[in-house]
Amino acid sequence: MTSATSPALPTASERRRSGSIAWHVGALAVLAVVLYPVIWVVGASFKPSKDIIASLDLLPAKPVWANFSGLADGISGISVGSFFWNSLMYAVLAVAGVVLSSSLTAYAFAKIRFAGRNLLFTLMIGTLLLPYHVLLIPQYVLFRNLELTDTLVPLVAGKFLATEAFFVFLMVQFMRGLPRELDEAAKLDGCGHLRTYWSIVLPLSRPAIITSAIFTFINAWNDFMGPLIYLNTPEKYTVSLGLMMFRDQEGVSNYGSMIAMSLVALVPVIAFFMAFQRHLIDGMATSGLKG
Amino acid sequence: MQQGGNVERRTILKAAGASLAVVGLGATATACGGDSGSGDGTVTIRYAWWGGEPRTIAIKKTIALFEKKFPKIKVKPEFTDYEAFWEKFQTQASGGNPPDVFQNAVGFLRKYDKRGVLLDLKTQADAGNLSLDNFRNGVLANGQVDGKQIAVPVGANTMALVIDLKAFEKAGVEPKFGWTWDEYFDALQKIQDKQKIAGDTGYFSIMYLYDLYLRQNGKAFFTDTDLGFTEADLTQWWEDGYKRVRSGLVADPKKVEQVKPKSALSAGLAASEFTWDNFSIRYEGEGESDYGLAPIPTTDGKDTGQYLGSLMLSGFSGTKHPKEVAQFIDFMVHDPEVGEIMGYDRGILATTEQYEAFKPADDNNKGVAAYEEEVAGAGVLGKITPHPSGADVIEAAFLRIGGEVAQGKTKPADAAKALFSEAKAAFAG
Amino acid sequence: MTLVKEAPARPAGKRPAAPAAGRRGRRRENLAGYLFMSPWIAGFLLLTAGPMIASLYYAFTSYNLFTPPQWIGLDNFTTMFQDPRWQKSVEVTLKYVVVATPLKLLLALGVALLLAQKRRGQGLYRAAFYMPSLIGASVSVGFVWRALFSDDAVVDRTQKIFGLDVGGWIGNPDYVIYALVALSIWQFGAPMVIFLAGLKQVPQELYEAAEVDGAGPLRRFWNITLPMISPVLFFNVLLESIHAFQVFGSAYVVSDTRCGPADATLVYTCYLYQKGFKEAQMGFASAMAWTLVVAVALVTAVLFWSQKKWVHYEEAAK
Repeated sequence: MTSATSPALPTASERRRSGSIAWHVGALAVLAVVLYPVIWVVGASFKPSKDIIASLDLLPAKPVWANFSGLADGISGISVGSFFWNSLMYAVLAVAGVVLSSSLTAYAFAKIRFAGRNLLFTLMIGTLLLPYHVLLIPQYVLFRNLELTDTLVPLVAGKFLATEAFFVFLMVQFMRGLPRELDEAAKLDGCGHLRTYWSIVLPLSRPAIITSAIFTFINAWNDFMGPLIYLNTPEKYTVSLGLMMFRDQEGVSNYGSMIAMSLVALVPVIAFFMAFQRHLIDGMATSGLKG
Repeated sequence: MQQGGNVERRTILKAAGASLAVVGLGATATACGGDSGSGDGTVTIRYAWWGGEPRTIAIKKTIALFEKKFPKIKVKPEFTDYEAFWEKFQTQASGGNPPDVFQNAVGFLRKYDKRGVLLDLKTQADAGNLSLDNFRNGVLANGQVDGKQIAVPVGANTMALVIDLKAFEKAGVEPKFGWTWDEYFDALQKIQDKQKIAGDTGYFSIMYLYDLYLRQNGKAFFTDTDLGFTEADLTQWWEDGYKRVRSGLVADPKKVEQVKPKSALSAGLAASEFTWDNFSIRYEGEGESDYGLAPIPTTDGKDTGQYLGSLMLSGFSGTKHPKEVAQFIDFMVHDPEVGEIMGYDRGILATTEQYEAFKPADDNNKGVAAYEEEVAGAGVLGKITPHPSGADVIEAAFLRIGGEVAQGKTKPADAAKALFSEAKAAFAG
Repeated sequence: MTLVKEAPARPAGKRPAAPAAGRRGRRRENLAGYLFMSPWIAGFLLLTAGPMIASLYYAFTSYNLFTPPQWIGLDNFTTMFQDPRWQKSVEVTLKYVVVATPLKLLLALGVALLLAQKRRGQGLYRAAFYMPSLIGASVSVGFVWRALFSDDAVVDRTQKIFGLDVGGWIGNPDYVIYALVALSIWQFGAPMVIFLAGLKQVPQELYEAAEVDGAGPLRRFWNITLPMISPVLFFNVLLESIHAFQVFGSAYVVSDTRCGPADATLVYTCYLYQKGFKEAQMGFASAMAWTLVVAVALVTAVLFWSQKKWVHYEEAAK
């Protein structure tokens, strides 16, 4: 192409560069809007209570620590730490339950040819589409009759019984992708299914397990309705319920502390996310691809 | 004690079957079953209440005091906010497992008495574990239904008008005892004209205030079993209210909604708000101005229709430790030190021992005490009837439907109809 | 991974014999299968099928937890269909589903298309856009959202600049539902990631061939991209709609637990919760639950049936 002072058409590389700039501007704009609430809550937790809504600045001119030191006092005599501990207990138990029971179930679906397998698989997928409302009240009545309300049992029982079909599905997809020669070789060597599951398939399924574990942790951490229905004593409250306690309606508003606590409650989730985002996103992605 | 019935239990247990073992797998915390006997004779009772942080801190102090004086009785506290409290209580009680002793209010007496949940404390009083003497201003009657003493008042309160003193001063208006509704709204109008803020925050959605208005006119919100007014009455009340929202005399409901859980009065959206007198203490801390109590407007220049309501303590009819429950209630209600710690948080202290023990130091509490003195002294106090079962649902419906009228979403006549139909369902429930 | 042994050599063309073939082997397989499945089976019976049957029963009873359920036939359903608050909850939920789901998916697809191009920092953007999906359902974000949409807060002031004054979102019964819609759309990252995965699977040759044939970007999108990602689109539409019908936490927290003002955020689940857990009308609440199941089943059925019309499944082996 002979060069003139101003070319009639943009060159290919120029096109790419301006397209690239436009792309980045667009992407950054979306990013700004998407991240605004997160940045806002960080800034707001350092503003004095009355300025939180009133002032529009993202970050306060003079950051104050009062909201966080207010957290140290706990709420109504219960330390904020106990909320975190309860949430942690819940989340850890949930993860243990899901990993154990979902992997067992997934192994059966993926690797064992048993009668009725397809029917049960369809049933399980069906539960993914079932609104939980029909289960809510009878489960409540069940746990109340067993005198297990105000404990973590109603919240985690299902996790140990593979009721989280999404993760079973995730693991089944993954396990189906493992080469069949591996478990057949194991069988020839005399391994029963249990051995094969434990020593071969489970270790190889680590990516799916990690994804499931992280999602389960985050879901348990965020869970609101379960604790709302089952937990009665404030000492047992998880973070999501503890947060609601800051909405004091009969006394002085603890608004600033509420916002600070909101931020602190988000930290574990965001931390997990940043550490494991690869796993989460890949896990989400594979779930969408029809197996 | 009525429980979930056999049929449903069998169905559930059949389904549970051998899975009980599996359920045990994940259990960590044990159920708090009010299990309380231990070898050395200490007894544990569960005590539940609702309220904000100041109340909880104070009550915990009184519990510590109680446990010191009664070393053989341990108290396990459970507390939450008002709505969650009654939800939990309902489900616990239905399972036969409510707390041994708990805070109560007049709207719930008949509801739970009907279901046999409440302990008749008269027998305990007769046994000498609980004294029913020395209650001021006849509030003991607030806890009586059909001759049974199923609750004991810890405090007395009455509806009050909290005003922004500075706003009233600037407009040059002054409330006076016995002023009429017209005089009240005129005063608000002056404030609105002068300072461009609304006069009130939404008086017409408050069931207890409407109750006063009805009493001033010879009716009442509830009879023993039903509503005590007509649809026409309510339509008129809500029509007037909505007119005032349109004119700006009542604060813009959208703005009131947004500042929640803060009160609209503290947020400076209006100059006055009707609420329970013992709540008035919160405004000082929440808002920027000075606040005080003003008399309830009257219809005839004299009668405010007021009565003393109460927060109360009740026991569970099926408690394993009725004697300890009675001793606990007796202590909480009569002990002067408890009175000093609680102050007027749950209302003006109901017994003479506690009333005399607590000398309010700050202006707010002094104001509340003076207010009730004035009201009691003016001889206008009426009697309160225990609300019929379902009163709590109706109170919530009144607030919600009143809010819809305020927002212009429902016409007053339709709203009144809706309230009546919801009330019918609530009474039946 | 020392446990994995090398697969022993096999004669070509012959499938490895199943161990212990025959009836005994099959029985052992079945036993093993059911042993492994026992937690799931227990869970299914105890926590899914059992409760489903129980709640179906409750739906025809009046049950307040204190007294045993009393059979009242279809009364719950007739009351429910005539209940103005129930009707309102259906209206609110439908509005939410119908507005939020398409917008969310459109945004997800749009951003996925953007991110599918190989640019610098693409992975970072993808992660950042995904994060809201993880925290969106939390109480913390509910509080933040309520604050952000309050009068004189950022959203209100921004729109005033553009001349749209709705007088605050949270307190306004006509607009508060849209604050919830915005919260749903904010969480577009999850469907976006799935779209991205689907987009990656579209063979480049198809695009190149089309470009050679002179097809412009719009044509390429319509005739290649859309059909190729239609399975993923179907998956997203199905899941997002079903989730949208069940929204609760955000409505509850953003409205300060009342699901108002004036029932403007009374989503179906909120009303169910109020009826069941506040007013202890378990029978009515169960009737509501089953009505929802039927509705969702209908929507699912329609979606599945419509697959034939617009979802294009790749026959070629991957």
